[in-house]
Amino acid sequence: MTIALETRDLGKSFGSLVATRNVTLAFEAGLRHAIIGPNGAGKTTFFNLLAGNLRPDGGRVLLGDRDVTNLGLAQRARLGIARSFQRNNVFMDLTVLENLVFARAVREKRTAVFWRSLRSYGDLREGAEAIAEKVGLTGDLDTVARSLSYGGQRQLEVGLALACDPKVLLLDEPTAGMSPEETARMRDLIRQLPGSLTMVIIEHDMDLVMDIADRITVLDYGSVLTQGTPTEIRASELVRERYLGGAAANPAGAS
Amino acid sequence: MASRVFLRRVIGAGLLAAALAGCMLASYFTQDLIAEAAILAVFALSLDFLATCGLVSFGHAGLLGVGAYAFGGLTVLAGYSPGTALAAAVLGGLIVAMAAGVFAVRTTGAFFIMVTLAMAEMFFSWVFRDRTFKGADGMGGVPRLDLSAIGVDLNDASTFAIFVVLLCAAIWLALEFLIVSPFGRTLDAIRQNAGRVSALGGSVFAYRLAAFTISGGIAAFAGAFKVQHTNFLSPDLAGWLASGDVLIAVVIGGIGTLVGGILGAAILVFLKDFLSSHFGHWYLFLGAIFMMVAIGLPRGIVGWVLELRGKRP
Repeated sequence: MTIALETRDLGKSFGSLVATRNVTLAFEAGLRHAIIGPNGAGKTTFFNLLAGNLRPDGGRVLLGDRDVTNLGLAQRARLGIARSFQRNNVFMDLTVLENLVFARAVREKRTAVFWRSLRSYGDLREGAEAIAEKVGLTGDLDTVARSLSYGGQRQLEVGLALACDPKVLLLDEPTAGMSPEETARMRDLIRQLPGSLTMVIIEHDMDLVMDIADRITVLDYGSVLTQGTPTEIRASELVRERYLGGAAANPAGAS
Repeated sequence: MASRVFLRRVIGAGLLAAALAGCMLASYFTQDLIAEAAILAVFALSLDFLATCGLVSFGHAGLLGVGAYAFGGLTVLAGYSPGTALAAAVLGGLIVAMAAGVFAVRTTGAFFIMVTLAMAEMFFSWVFRDRTFKGADGMGGVPRLDLSAIGVDLNDASTFAIFVVLLCAAIWLALEFLIVSPFGRTLDAIRQNAGRVSALGGSVFAYRLAAFTISGGIAAFAGAFKVQHTNFLSPDLAGWLASGDVLIAVVIGGIGTLVGGILGAAILVFLKDFLSSHFGHWYLFLGAIFMMVAIGLPRGIVGWVLELRGKRP
């Protein structure tokens, strides 16, 4: 078993609020990991620590064998940790294609160029179109991001993360605010991503989590409550009591 | 439908044609105003280029002052040729901007405004007090570039005006191409969403620093021509009023449009001349006009024209 991303004794406090409490976790390569937990459990803080938006107060973050604890967001992105955001965070004035071409240009370190136009990067267009297809936006290549539907912007959000050629893809509530149809589309999209890609997903939609995750980690008050396969989590007394409540008491409803 | 880029270039070409016609046909006094407007336009371009990455400076006159004092000091006090002094002035602007930028571009918004203002005031108070450059009295006798080798006499008002108008046009065109380059598009992406650029692996700091440095070089270039135009060096070139004037020019013309800064500079120079010859309290009227434009056309005149043509290319 290869570990793609790992945390050791990771901690982060905001004043007297402990958002992440000694979290030691290993994310096995090539699996889809879900992080669940009630609101305020520290999921997004933990994500920000993984991606490099925040520096921890203590503990370490390792990408494979490499200690990335002291690296910032951009440096970690270059090493292969890509993230999407809970709130849409795309380039609103650019078209879908321009968003993705730009992301590819950053990925290939070809933005420090003064003497030609970005439009002349025909070779990047191919890669960008391939990503648009993966996230279901082929029909909207020339649509300005601002004019996309909310769900479309969510898809572009994931597309931008994919454009980084990530080793580890962090998705923060990819279906937040989506309609049931849009959620179903996102579920298919995530399912179709290559199996070699390690994914960590924060998600509130339990049906989706049970459906797509290989491993589930439950956070509560900043600590790891438990970890396991979807079947194990569904069967866990502790999780049922602390988090799933009625939903897991009726397994049929959760599948 | 004409694209925004095309429209911007049409407006630019129109302004260039009008300015050149004015340089050749108008009175001595108008030629002088055109030269003043063209130099302010170069300065406005430097400020608007910086706005491409989402930073609005309120201390840009400090960088203009670096170029002006480098040029004036090297020619009048040290006896260097104007050509050498011009190169040194631009280099000085680039270096000072890079050094100041290391601190300034870590901030954005109101903090960036305050940091740039503070830095420019530091420079201002130095040249205001220090007797090297005659302090508050200022210093005359600044020479113009000597282009007699190619048969051009810049001491002629019409020739000088044409020369600075062409320089302004060249810088504008260079920036028009720069903003569509991968570098320029990265600056625009940073303006739209700096956090996302970081998440993609781009260094927001490095790009903002590069933009600030380039902007400083252009501002210093404008400063070197400002003192050639008046043949006079004085601290108020670098004061906050000068930073405010160029900001007004860019906002009236349309921030983020490049050509808007040129139009705004022309409007400001001619309006100031008109108002000050009719009214004593002309800044009062200028302020009222500026407020009306800022409220009525929040994207400036060029921004408004471009918007009439739709949101996108």
